Amino acid sequence: MEYKYTKERIELEKELNTLDEFVLSFTAILNKLNLNYVIVSGYVSILFGRNRSSEDVDIILEKITLAQFEIMWNELNKLFECIITENVKDAYNDYLTTGCAIRFSKKGEAIPNIEIKFPKTELDIWTLNNKKEILLNRNHLFISPLELQIPFKLFLGSEKDIEDARFLYNLFKDKLNKALLLEFNRKLNIDEVFNRYLT
Amino acid sequence: MKLPHIDLKELKRLKEENFKERLKFIDWYTNWLKKSSNKTWSSQQKKIIN
Repeated sequence: MEYKYTKERIELEKELNTLDEFVLSFTAILNKLNLNYVIVSGYVSILFGRNRSSEDVDIILEKITLAQFEIMWNELNKLFECIITENVKDAYNDYLTTGCAIRFSKKGEAIPNIEIKFPKTELDIWTLNNKKEILLNRNHLFISPLELQIPFKLFLGSEKDIEDARFLYNLFKDKLNKALLLEFNRKLNIDEVFNRYLT
Repeated sequence: MKLPHIDLKELKRLKEENFKERLKFIDWYTNWLKKSSNKTWSSQQKKIIN
């Protein structure tokens, strides 16, 4: 695997699969609108070669105003549709601002879809502020820092999550900020899980 | 219809063994991934995901 890893970003060239293309078509719109977002789901491991698919891709979007959201909604609706509600004000007022997620899929399709939510916790805000830039075939997107993504997968704790964590750790262990990773292990109380599955 | 006897302890043990084997495969696969060109691994991934 060839990639360029720096503190700020990872550059990767690959043959894109349909899930990559789906994600890039969505994030291109968020980028165009200069929105602050971060991908936090299992797609992070798929991006780097894990051989599984996913029915949804989770995105944390920095809290924006209704007016900004309407602009985003209109741009997205050229290619995508919200499968939770057709009404932009309901999507904003009844879902996003009450802590619920909304989902967008390509028009007429249900899977895969993008699940968007506003940050709910300090951890969500930290993730947004410390997101990692990815340059995938010269397309920009932002993912959760791996020093959090790996411990958080262990915290979630399903077999699939542990496999994702092990996959990412195996690939990037020489590049990670170990002190930060261990600090998240401690804060998430998963030292024992980390030692059992990743060392 | 006569249903088979189910030994839950045995099933649990088999489930754990299966998980350990999948983790071993991930180790093998990540080693292979590191040694493979992006074109090689991503074209194979594309076949599975698409």
